[in-house]
Amino acid sequence: MQERPQTLARATEGDANSFATLLEPLLDPAYRLAAVMLDDRSAAEDAVQEASIKAWRKLRQLRGEVGSLRSWFLSIVANECRMARRQRWWSVVRLPDIRTAAEAGAMSDEPATDLKAALLRLSPDERLPLVLHFYLDLPLEEVARTLGVTTAAAKSRIYRAAKKLKSDLTLEEVF
Amino acid sequence: MGNEDFRRELNNAIDNISGSPSHGLRDRVRSRLIETPSRGGPFWIAGVAAVTIAVLIVGILFVINPNRNNAIIGGVGQVSPSPSASPSATTSPSPSPSASPAASPTPAFTCANTAPITTQQPANPIAYVSALRTGAHAGYDRVTIEFSNGEPASIEVRPQAGTKFALGESGQTVTMAGKNGILVVIRGADAHTSYSGPRDLKTNYPRLVETRITEDFEGVVQLGLGINGPACYRFSVLTNPTRLVIDVQAP
Repeated sequence: MQERPQTLARATEGDANSFATLLEPLLDPAYRLAAVMLDDRSAAEDAVQEASIKAWRKLRQLRGEVGSLRSWFLSIVANECRMARRQRWWSVVRLPDIRTAAEAGAMSDEPATDLKAALLRLSPDERLPLVLHFYLDLPLEEVARTLGVTTAAAKSRIYRAAKKLKSDLTLEEVF
Repeated sequence: MGNEDFRRELNNAIDNISGSPSHGLRDRVRSRLIETPSRGGPFWIAGVAAVTIAVLIVGILFVINPNRNNAIIGGVGQVSPSPSASPSATTSPSPSPSASPAASPTPAFTCANTAPITTQQPANPIAYVSALRTGAHAGYDRVTIEFSNGEPASIEVRPQAGTKFALGESGQTVTMAGKNGILVVIRGADAHTSYSGPRDLKTNYPRLVETRITEDFEGVVQLGLGINGPACYRFSVLTNPTRLVIDVQAP
């Protein structure tokens, strides 16, 4: 962890390998965020790849703040997903993903399937705070930075989206 | 259902939607980053210089190419993003000179490869097609053909007028969606050992409307691409994993 500021400094000077090293631990969460926003695994990988390149090109905007890297990168991934949707490739006829037997087993878990369907009925921008808060377990401040809103607004967005999945959820149950 | 139950079930649902990223994602991102110069530095200037030099070299090679007159039968490869140039009725591609790059979002689309392009590798073992993907991006639609077991012996990309493609050696033809087509001939490959996915991808992208495996026999894989507009494309072969990427310029 001590080496991260130095790695970021090297990346800012143009060392792509250092930047790739910094991004590596973020690729999995970024992929999951994109997969939920787009509901398309292959498109999610493309979005993460494109977002990585955009982040690389915009790296100077980070101003060497390694602590902000995760929320900064995830916000770029979320934007990339929004852009991908605007490009209308959302409207294509998507073919079902081939799922492994283990995943197929998980799918038979009825409550999860119900929740999955409910989650996919939300807009991608409603799914985003849920993934950040519940799945990636980001602190509220980081969720807020990723969404580009205040902490209070982030809290409100998480709660509103969660309530749409489970109407009797109380504020205390969410936070 | 308490908070923990809700969280667990939500996380299960998210796992269910996302699965895990492919093993190659990390390497793909790394290799793309290494290929991409960061903006604002000397790399960017070097990149622009390299592209300029490449365009000049391609232009010179085109001008001195002694075979170019034999190949010109009709205009097919629509190098201009302008919709006015309609393709003539011919199946032979035109080696028209490369067009000016279109003004499109990052990465900039340089419509350089409108003539047939062939790449050849030393005799490799059969490369297995392992994935076939399509996607729409800002300024271009993309087809990605991923290989396992190395790179195929040769790849040929041929734009054509119309979307009528031969179905292997059967003598049958198929007319795909779109107005123009691109035929991709991959030698030293098969699309049935490692690939069991769909063989005809119909999409509703701005330009790329259909991608279909039209031949997969005796080490030759052919794909037809149906393009709803000019068959202006660029292509590259990337590694980690080995994959052929064809981008069709989109408005």
